[in-house]
Amino acid sequence: MAAETTFSGPVSRKERAPLSRWLIDVVGVAILLFLCLPIAIVIPMSFSSADTLEFPPPGFSLRWFESFFNDPRWLEAAKNSIIVAFASSTLAVILGSAAAYGLVRATFRGTRVLEANFLMPLIVPQVITALALYIYLAKFGLLGTLPGMIIGHTVLGLPYVVLLMSVAIRSFDVRIEQAALSLGASWQLMFWRVLVPNLIPSMLAAWIFAFIISFDEVIITVFLSGAYDTIPKKMFNELVLRVNPTITAIATLLITFTVITMGLIAWLAKRGGVSMPR
Amino acid sequence: MSDIVSETVPPQKRPFSMPQGLGQLIPAAVFLLLLFNLPILMMLGWSIGPEGDAFKHYAALAKGSVYMKVLGNTMYIAVLTTLACCVLGYPLAYWMWRLSPRGQMIALGLVVLTFWISILVRTYAWIVVLGNDGIVNRTLKYLGLTENSVAFLYNQVGVIIGTTNVLLPFLVLPLFAAMLKLDKRVLQAAESMGASPSTIFFRIFFPLTIPALAAGAILVFILTLGFFITPAILGGGRVPMIANMLDTLVNRMPRWELAAAISTALLVFTLVFYAAYQWVEKKSRIQ
Repeated sequence: MAAETTFSGPVSRKERAPLSRWLIDVVGVAILLFLCLPIAIVIPMSFSSADTLEFPPPGFSLRWFESFFNDPRWLEAAKNSIIVAFASSTLAVILGSAAAYGLVRATFRGTRVLEANFLMPLIVPQVITALALYIYLAKFGLLGTLPGMIIGHTVLGLPYVVLLMSVAIRSFDVRIEQAALSLGASWQLMFWRVLVPNLIPSMLAAWIFAFIISFDEVIITVFLSGAYDTIPKKMFNELVLRVNPTITAIATLLITFTVITMGLIAWLAKRGGVSMPR
Repeated sequence: MSDIVSETVPPQKRPFSMPQGLGQLIPAAVFLLLLFNLPILMMLGWSIGPEGDAFKHYAALAKGSVYMKVLGNTMYIAVLTTLACCVLGYPLAYWMWRLSPRGQMIALGLVVLTFWISILVRTYAWIVVLGNDGIVNRTLKYLGLTENSVAFLYNQVGVIIGTTNVLLPFLVLPLFAAMLKLDKRVLQAAESMGASPSTIFFRIFFPLTIPALAAGAILVFILTLGFFITPAILGGGRVPMIANMLDTLVNRMPRWELAAAISTALLVFTLVFYAAYQWVEKKSRIQ
């Protein structure tokens, strides 16, 4: 990743006209601020004591966090979100890690086509995936059920897992596997004693990615969930209708959650050689 | 990758009749086949009309001025968002490229962080910023630039600002990576031969990074075409885009055939642009 580079800008920095350098700095910082503005606004607002969306907040309070944790509908949505995210990311990691292993170690032709197909859910607009699954799952009576939602989220998380795990498996030397096998280990023994211990940090990172993808998902959930609410679906519906400051508290919780998991992934990446997908 | 394997394990030694790796690939491949490929194919089937009038729904689509207007509106917003992302993303990536390694790490961390934070959260903040009594309007009034609030929300301007903000990292991250991969010696060579900094930038640096910029721009364009959340929230139903129209057609009307026809058109369009993206991205990697 870029952070590891030792590159330190172009060579002619000192000789460059100071005005243009200054201008580039101002523009760069301004655009970065624009990018980060939403986060910088939402976090202080979630601690606001005002009834309306005022910025800057007139006073400090935790009332919006209280209103979230005291509202059974939000808690129900959180429960559904966690169930769906947990199940779908686990399924995606199992299917996706095996597939990535197959893709990297395959000796037959046609893996390119398979790989492209694994990445398709990333390219096809999510609304199309949602619509197609809506029509399809309705036939099997899975519309508006948790299994239906889990299927949809697994389809979406799978490409990320395949991408991440392919990188991790590619950097894992196949000769270590061959050494274990040639020394008499069965494939199962090699799998549990060699492959799994080496790949587990990457698998955990991939699992977290898939979990975040599912936890943030709106479109597929809106189409497939029926009466079930998830956190993003409820946020979305409330945002379209009216503006409820409780959402700022949830937003802050989500940001905290993202920062923690990102730190976790960075830590796992150091141990497992996973690189962040773009 | 297959070369390594075939070098170290001669094919005739393999005891299984099943090719290596196939067993691991089957579960995920079947899963996707049944729950992604097949549903999409069936959706394509829905879009085809009864025998003798196969293109009935597409004809209805082309005749309905409402649909064409939404398609046009989506294109318009996608083009403007892509332009905005280029105009903002290039200077940002360039500025990051010039920073010290530590500065690069901090800036990159911030961009990646925004990338991973929920789109809902990032969209939501713009209601506060751009609202009639929001920060921007109060600043404008304070500066005496306007007396009445300027409407930023629930129109195209709001949608474009929000979408640009959400999709900017998709352009900046690969562009920045491409800049880092650029051979520094090319720039040094130009400098040692007396080129001015602006000549180096416009004659060497910028041309070399155009493929990466183009790839990022196509990616943003594709993503905007199917964008749902931000247009729905910041457009307030007044800036209908394809994805929102599909939602209405399926969940409220229900007119599945028409929705399937629109989806098919969107899918074909996306895949064409994705092919272009792949082509450009390949080019940017060669350089």
